[in-house]
Amino acid sequence: MEIPYIVEPRKDTGLNNSKIAIWLFLASEVMLFGGLFSGYVFLRVYADYPWPERTLPVLPGLINTFVLIGSSVTVVFAWVSLKLRQWRKFQIYMTITIVCAALFMVLKGIEYKAKFAHQAIRLDDYTVIEGHAHPQGAHADHTDHGDHGDHDGHAAHGAHGPKKNLNISAESVQINLRRVDDIYYEVLGAQYDDGGFVLADEVKLSGGAVLAKGAKISKALIEQAKDDFLDAVANNSELDIAANREAWVDVRAALPGKRYWEKDVKELLVKQISLRKAERKDQYRLPVPSLTFVPASGQAQISVDPYWGKLSNPKQGEKANLKLKDQTVIFGIAADSSIGLDVDGIDFRHTVMKAEEKGIDPTVAINNSWLLQHENMKAIWEKHKLITAKLEERIKDKGHKPTENDIYRINWQEIAGLQEKTIEELETMSHAEILALYPGDIEGFAGPNHSKIEFPSITVPREQVRFESVFSPRWNTYYATYFTITGLHGLHVIAGALVLAYYLFFGRKMYNENPEWLANRVEIGGLFWHFVDLVWIFLFPILYLM
Amino acid sequence: MADSPEAIKRHIKLYLLIGATLFACTLLTVAVAKFEFLDFGSRGFGTADMVIGLLIALFKATLVALIFMHLNHEKKMIYWFFGMGIVFGFFLIALTGLAFSDPIYFEGFFGR
Repeated sequence: MEIPYIVEPRKDTGLNNSKIAIWLFLASEVMLFGGLFSGYVFLRVYADYPWPERTLPVLPGLINTFVLIGSSVTVVFAWVSLKLRQWRKFQIYMTITIVCAALFMVLKGIEYKAKFAHQAIRLDDYTVIEGHAHPQGAHADHTDHGDHGDHDGHAAHGAHGPKKNLNISAESVQINLRRVDDIYYEVLGAQYDDGGFVLADEVKLSGGAVLAKGAKISKALIEQAKDDFLDAVANNSELDIAANREAWVDVRAALPGKRYWEKDVKELLVKQISLRKAERKDQYRLPVPSLTFVPASGQAQISVDPYWGKLSNPKQGEKANLKLKDQTVIFGIAADSSIGLDVDGIDFRHTVMKAEEKGIDPTVAINNSWLLQHENMKAIWEKHKLITAKLEERIKDKGHKPTENDIYRINWQEIAGLQEKTIEELETMSHAEILALYPGDIEGFAGPNHSKIEFPSITVPREQVRFESVFSPRWNTYYATYFTITGLHGLHVIAGALVLAYYLFFGRKMYNENPEWLANRVEIGGLFWHFVDLVWIFLFPILYLM
Repeated sequence: MADSPEAIKRHIKLYLLIGATLFACTLLTVAVAKFEFLDFGSRGFGTADMVIGLLIALFKATLVALIFMHLNHEKKMIYWFFGMGIVFGFFLIALTGLAFSDPIYFEGFFGR
C-alpha cells in the first residue's frame, strides 16, 4: 500500500504526515511529564517530613547527562549523514547513539541497585538511620568483620539469610479456613514441619469427618477442612435462600394484595422465615471456621518476612501474636526481631521537626534520642558537632550560616572519613583539612561502598523501629517520585533506542530504494530522542541538585 | 524545509557548537550546586539556587528545541501543537496551586 505524504509535504499543512504525528505525540508527552513534575512540586511543597535535599550521588547523574547530550548530537549527525547520502557515517553515528542509550541504562541500573540495597530506618523518636542491614543473628556490635569483610557487600550478605524478619516463639497457630491461602503454607510450610505442629484438639468437621487430635499439620489436612468449611457455608446459605423464598410464598398467600412495607406483612414474614428454617433444622451444618495447631514440643520458632504480616508486640520476651495477611494468627512470645545495621547516615532533621512541633528544645531531643545512648553513635555525633562549629566559624565572615542539613544530617562521607580520627585530633585540624579526609565522588560512585569501607554497627530492636524500608518508592514521596519519573524516562530511552536501532539494522533496503524516506524516519526518531534528552535536562538538576 | 544538502553542511558547525554549549552548561549547573564560592544566596540549596538551576535547564532545553529539533524554522502548525502542549503542561503544574486556597473551606467560593 502506498502511504501518502511520507516524503513530500501535504499542501494544506505544508508538512509530511509523520512529522505532524510525532509532534502531536510529543505535545502529549509534554503534558504527561508536566503532570509528573507537577506531582513532584506538590509533594515537595507539602511534605510533612524534611525533604531529602541533594542526597543522590551526583556523578552517575552527571555522566548520564553527558551521555544523553552526546547521543543527541550524534543522532543529529546520523540524520545529516543520511541527508548527504553517507551511509557509512550514518551507521557510525547511529551506533554511537545506541551505545549511549545502553550506557545510560546501565548507569541507571547501577544507581537503582545501590538504592535497593540501602536500608533506612525511621526510629521511634523519628531519628533516621541509613546503612546496610546484615543477617539476623549474625549482628551483635562487632568490631571485627572477619566473617564478611572481604566480599561484595550486600550481595553476599543476602546469602547469609534474612535481615529483617519478624520472629516469634510460637505456642499455637490458628489458621483461618475462610482466608487461608496456599502461598502462606508454602512460605511457612517448612517451619511448621520443623516445629512439628499438630492439631490441638479433635475437630469434628460439619461433613462428619473427624480430624484426630495430634494430627500432623499438612496442606492436605488444611485443604480438607477448608473445603468442608466452604461446603458448609454454601449449604447453609442455600437453605436460607430456600426458606426465605417459601416464607414469601406463604405471606403472599396469607395476605394477598398487601405491600411489603406494611407492618403485618413484615411481622408474618419474620415468623414464616424462622418457621421454614426450623423445618430444615437437620439439614444445616455447623461450619468449623478455624484450626488450631500447637508445636509438638510446646514452642517452635517462626520467622517471616515483614511483608507477610505484623507483630502485635515486637518487644522481645513479651506475649505477642503475629498476624499474617491471610488472617492466620501465630500466638506466642516475641523473639529477637532486631535489625543489625552498618550505619552510613544519620539524620536528626525529622527528630528536630517533631521536637519543635511539641515545643521541645531540639538539642535535648537529640541528646535524649535512643541512638545517642550508644557509644559509637555518640562519638559520631560529637565529631559532627565539632565540624559544624568549625564550619560555622569558617563561613561566618561570608555572612553564611550552616543549614539544617549541615547541622542535623551526617552523611556517609563524614562517617567514613573521620572514623580513624579521634576528636582531639580533629580539634587541631582546620575545616578544609577535615573535608579533605572525606572519600571523593569516584570512591562513592553510587553511594557508600560497604565492601571497601567498614561502617559502625548498631542493633535496632524491633520496638524502636517506626518504619523501615530500603530506598525504594516505599521509603518516602521523594523516592516515589524519583523512581516514577526516572523509571518512565528510562522506558522512553529504551523505546527510542529500539526505534533508532531498527533504522540502523533494517534501514539499508529503504536507503537503497528511497533514501529521503529513511532520512525523514531518522529525523522523526531523532525528534523523539531529543525530547527524551530534554526531559532529562530538567530531571537532572531537579532530582540530583535541588 | 530548507534542508538542502548545502544548507545542512553549513549547519554542521552550529550543531557542534550547541553540543559543546550543552556540555558546558551542565558543568556549570553542577558547579553552582557543588562549589562553595559559586553558592548564591544563603548557604546550601535555596531559592537562588533553584532559580539559577532551572534557568540553566530552561536555556539548555531551548537550545535543544530550537536547533536540534529544528524549531527555529518550523511550520506554524507545529508551533501550535507544541505550544499548546507546554501551555497545558504548565496548567497542570499551576493546578497544584489550588491547594493553597481549598475551595471547600474558602467561603467566597461557594458563597457560604
